[in-house]
Amino acid sequence: MKITLSINLGGWSFNIDEDAYAELKRYLKNLEIHFAAEESSAEILSDIETRMAEILRSRLTTYKQVITMDDVRHVISVLGTPEDLSGENTSTGDKFASRGYHRMYRDPDHRIIGGVCAGIGAYWRIEPWIVRIIFLILGVMGGVGLLVYLILYIVLPEAKTTAQKIEMKGEPVNIHNITEAVKNEFDNVRKNMNL
Amino acid sequence: MDLENTKAQMRKGILEYCILSVLSRSSCYASDIIRELKEAKVIVVEGTLYPLLTRQKNAGLLSYRWEESQQGPPRKYYELTQAGKEYLSDLDKSWNELVESVNLIRTR
Repeated sequence: MKITLSINLGGWSFNIDEDAYAELKRYLKNLEIHFAAEESSAEILSDIETRMAEILRSRLTTYKQVITMDDVRHVISVLGTPEDLSGENTSTGDKFASRGYHRMYRDPDHRIIGGVCAGIGAYWRIEPWIVRIIFLILGVMGGVGLLVYLILYIVLPEAKTTAQKIEMKGEPVNIHNITEAVKNEFDNVRKNMNL
Repeated sequence: MDLENTKAQMRKGILEYCILSVLSRSSCYASDIIRELKEAKVIVVEGTLYPLLTRQKNAGLLSYRWEESQQGPPRKYYELTQAGKEYLSDLDKSWNELVESVNLIRTR
């Protein structure tokens, strides 16, 4: 026996299994991110929801009154995952998928003091300790290093969100990279906690 | 070289053309356009259609009106605008030229 929820999808009412609901909600969120850069993203999503409701209605019968995980997976395969859509999207679609801003941030995950050297290292893809040695040499040679470090500490923003951390390395910010980054973070936490 | 990628590139260019073509025969709902495009194997996943439809509407090539339905909320009923018809006729010419060029190269 499962719990079901009652949802409004595209103006239609459905009973949906709890786990199917979670999957559907995740899919809709992914689509929202995928279309975020489009001018009329709200309209696109609304049209897609309407189509989802159409497809799901066709799967219900007198004997089957609840949307299940299978139904949601079917809808996803018919409409396409964000990966599928990036592949097929025309002209302007590609721009959004692979923008790849490259900005310098302070890296809070690899810092010793303020993350300035780690951030510079991430931007230029060199090891942070090389940057630290350079700063130390500059510092020893007349204090310039310390001043430069302080200025950079104030001027460079901290990379807080996953998207910013990806931008720091100059990789394109898309669903794939964000999911990869979050997965890596989970794995690191698990390793540190020996789970 | 990735065959699937090359094929996808080829399909990308003609999808907008095909949407306008379908609507030129008769005005219809998004699901009708999808059905025709799928039958002709122009799209693989339906989600590709929606951003294009919206872009073409924003560009003034299509318009829609809300049609009441017997059950459930109203649906969008699409039709080509005058600008859309002219745009399509330009694309028709362009397509014919393209086919001719490719055939010349293939059959030389």
